[in-house]
Amino acid sequence: MATTDKATLKAAILKKKREVYEPVVPAQQFGFIHNNVDCIGCRACEIACKDKNGLPEGPRFRRVQYLEGGSYPEVFAFKLNMSCNHCAEPACLPTCPTGAIYKRADNGVVDIDSTLCIGCRKCEAACPYGAPQFNVELNIVQKCNMCIDELDAGRKPYCVSACMMRVLDIGPIDQIDAGTYETKAVGPNDDLVRQVKSMADPELTNPSIRFVPHSKGRVD
Amino acid sequence: MTKTLSLTSRLASLLTPTRRAFLQGAAATATTALVGGKAAPAHAFAYEPYPKDDELTTVVTSCAHNCGSRHMLVAHKKGDVIVRLSTDNGSYQGDAYGTDTEEKPQLRACLRGRSYRLRLYSPERLLYPMKRVGKRGEAKFKRVSWEQALSEIAERMVHLKTTYGPTALLDQSYAGASYGVLHKSDQIEGLLGRFLGMFGCRTNSWSVPSYQGTTSSSRWTYGTIEDGNEDDAFAHSKLIIMWGWNPAYTFHGGNTFYYMRMAKQRGCKFVLVDPQYTDSAAAYDAWWIPIRPNTDAAMMAGMASHIFATNRQDQEFINRFVQGMDPGTMPVWAQGKESFRDYIEGKSDGIPKTPEWAAEICGVPAENIIKLAEMYADTKPAALKASWAPGRAAFGEQYNRMAAALQSMTGNIGKLGGCAEGVGKGWHPEAVAYPYDENANIWYASIKSDRWAHIVLNYPNVKREEAGLWPRSDNLDGVVPNIRGIFWQGSDWFNQLTNINKEIEAIRKLDSYGEGESLLVCMDSTITPTGIWADYLLPIATHFERHDVALPWYKGHYYIHRPKVIEPMGESKTDIQVFTELAYRLGFGPAYNPKADRSYFDNPDAVDEAYLVDWWTQKVQLHQGVTSSWEEFKKRGVYKFILPRPHVAFQDQIEQGIPFQTPSGKIEILSTELAQVTDWTRTRYGYFIPAIPKWIEPWEGRGDPKAQEFPFQMITPHPRWRTHSIFNNIPWLRETFSQETTINASDAKRLGIQTGDTVEIWNTRGKVVTPVYVTERCMPGVVVLHEGAWMDLDENGVDRSGNPDFLTDDNPSPAGAFAYNTILVNLKKTELAHRPGWDQLASARSHVFRRDN
Repeated sequence: MATTDKATLKAAILKKKREVYEPVVPAQQFGFIHNNVDCIGCRACEIACKDKNGLPEGPRFRRVQYLEGGSYPEVFAFKLNMSCNHCAEPACLPTCPTGAIYKRADNGVVDIDSTLCIGCRKCEAACPYGAPQFNVELNIVQKCNMCIDELDAGRKPYCVSACMMRVLDIGPIDQIDAGTYETKAVGPNDDLVRQVKSMADPELTNPSIRFVPHSKGRVD
Repeated sequence: MTKTLSLTSRLASLLTPTRRAFLQGAAATATTALVGGKAAPAHAFAYEPYPKDDELTTVVTSCAHNCGSRHMLVAHKKGDVIVRLSTDNGSYQGDAYGTDTEEKPQLRACLRGRSYRLRLYSPERLLYPMKRVGKRGEAKFKRVSWEQALSEIAERMVHLKTTYGPTALLDQSYAGASYGVLHKSDQIEGLLGRFLGMFGCRTNSWSVPSYQGTTSSSRWTYGTIEDGNEDDAFAHSKLIIMWGWNPAYTFHGGNTFYYMRMAKQRGCKFVLVDPQYTDSAAAYDAWWIPIRPNTDAAMMAGMASHIFATNRQDQEFINRFVQGMDPGTMPVWAQGKESFRDYIEGKSDGIPKTPEWAAEICGVPAENIIKLAEMYADTKPAALKASWAPGRAAFGEQYNRMAAALQSMTGNIGKLGGCAEGVGKGWHPEAVAYPYDENANIWYASIKSDRWAHIVLNYPNVKREEAGLWPRSDNLDGVVPNIRGIFWQGSDWFNQLTNINKEIEAIRKLDSYGEGESLLVCMDSTITPTGIWADYLLPIATHFERHDVALPWYKGHYYIHRPKVIEPMGESKTDIQVFTELAYRLGFGPAYNPKADRSYFDNPDAVDEAYLVDWWTQKVQLHQGVTSSWEEFKKRGVYKFILPRPHVAFQDQIEQGIPFQTPSGKIEILSTELAQVTDWTRTRYGYFIPAIPKWIEPWEGRGDPKAQEFPFQMITPHPRWRTHSIFNNIPWLRETFSQETTINASDAKRLGIQTGDTVEIWNTRGKVVTPVYVTERCMPGVVVLHEGAWMDLDENGVDRSGNPDFLTDDNPSPAGAFAYNTILVNLKKTELAHRPGWDQLASARSHVFRRDN
């Protein structure tokens, strides 16, 4: 029977991380913010991402999940929107046999050097959030790199700039957590959490993403 | 708490060269965190070679498909190829990167617009004129020259006009490429209408599929369809009742959805009255009141009853501005007749329209009707947004009329945060750069748009009221048109009007007249389900391939320049080029396009520029106080107006006492026009319409005997992954959403259906096949199937794409409302396969449409 003891699990996870990988600690970690409630689920971010990255049918770097519950007529619904979480301790990175996956030291973006990727798909299996996407046509794995070229040019990623409701944003994760970061994604009465329902435990990789949760999406 | 310098402003500061040079000095490490604190250019992009945006040419343009607005698309191109699209980032009008304020928000494009490259470069693009070689509908075409196509079309037009008279050609232009100021397709006074009218052979289609019930109501009640607030006004409401309204799907022009988020943050409460718990309800945290389809007017009557009974109405407003609300506001000529309050209180029919009475009809508990009535009457200002969808039904006009009664009895008209919509057209743009004169709307017959097949099939034994003929004052009055041809310009109406199987029969009737005795022409950028049935397919340049200016027709206050971003693909021409050249062949070329000569067909650039310059200088600068030059506008690509106050419909009428544009000058709950009618058959409506709003039992409602055999009520809302049928062929969009039937979980359980199963849905008119989505978010007894799937018939006449218009009825409401949401159906699990798109057809589209012989 599987263990349900969280402390035991946590210790095991820590041990594994120590054994295989010493993560890069960036000068400043960038992360995403998504408002689960105010998001209308239009998926303009997804399409902007497909266009930006020239993707065929199949790989979806950004995925808006639709969650709903309750019984008629007392129902609820909210959205959970994720691409790559550019984790502080990325699970994908140590699984890569060629070293194609790397974490940038400046802003913590996790990226794949496509010239080194052999398409073994180990990272795809390792990621608890489904970020790495296999591209059948190119026979490699690709994923969100937070539009690093746009960041370098001083602009926000395509998904963030596409958001019609202004509920998706990026920022330095320490400032987001400190509540000092100015963003339209967070309303005046909203608080932020690290985990919501239908999402793997953030203890696994320390993902760089925060959410405004729906009352029915709270984990605790 | 002190906010640190925001990321946006830091990004913006990096974009300013002087600032950047400064930053490379002392402060660099402190402020350039985003680029990692190093001055060296980053070399981290993994997908080399990969053109970055700044290595490409940037051209501002817009989307062209109809959410009621035109959001910005920014093309990043290399040579003549668009590599990717972005959207407004606040900088293009000359402001700092990231500028996005309440008075000047960014015009961010939706998922449909963002997918445009795939439409532009789709395998379904029409690249040269084609002529049918198989049977109509068989999808066999061959390539022909423009010369051949246009000569043959012109010859046939003359033959049909000479032989069958001035009503032989039916104008079915619609909004497929809507609203540039110069190039567009449009049902009302559009380019095709002018062309056929000047040719002297045109049957017009007057009822608008989207909102004719609503339009009729707005015109009777307010005398105009400009009864809308601008999008930013929604941010000022304390209560927004979304009645059948789902801006999370339709977007609804400008930044409506975003301003509603602001309203929520400022404490506005939301209510949704709808058979579905929509994403709008979820995002705005609305109180959901599920209601049976087509019973909205009854629920509203119940609300009105409670408001009167508890004396919550704004009597002062009623007395000053409203005609016919109660006995005291009846005009002299109608003294003693039934007022709205008389009707509600049951004075003449003996039935008080109490909340309990309404509850029986609409399935909403009386206490909820009372609660909503009190919320609406007691909250100021409150916006009852009576959307178009519930009006697309049998007697849909009564729903909109009833909503107007509630809006005016609570005094929420002409006030910021209130709402009089209705049609909801807001800011008035200068919309016309193309030639517009006395020839704009010449017609010899004008029919209810969804009656064409009925007319063709039953000609000449058709009564004028069945056709919905618009009255004339000459000898053509009441003459039913002898339809022998159809022009579809930017129109997929064959796929989009009601009762498609009846339309197919009508085409077969035209076939029976013999080759050469009818004509079907389809003008579009891609092949369409309608084009399959045409004799000629004419390739039309998209808005990326022609010079124009985009404007919102519905909400939003701005213009976006649309330069020719790339050269027209293949042999594409613009609509005006085609009509001009045809007009030359038919003898009225110079009159049709006064600024052009015949070389326009080969090079339209100088003439198009001249029309646009005239529009800017003679209209925009002259009428709208814009000082910016045409050249400046072209350089920027966008002009956003800053309005002195949020535009609210009828504010001047209420604040300054200016009369409404109705016969009485008041808000007409008692319609002067309707009250004067004595012979309904001689009106365009054809059948009786009450002069005050009333609940009328619809056909195919729950009380219809047909409900025994067909127990489900179907509604067919607009999808968000298509604009009607446009974009149905886009792989990215089909990956995000699928054409599926939504059904309530308890109904599904009874039928043994689970999410992911395939179902067939049928009634006496047709049968369709789709996957099914089972949810608690849909009212029991209701099924939902979005309109616009590209029809795909199998050998037994079953539509495998799931187009609900095989099930809809072509019988319109008296005021012209299409009955898109008045359908009884049955459904069951099926072994038949759903075919989501033509890519899964037996014959590949490339073989069907690109043959050269």
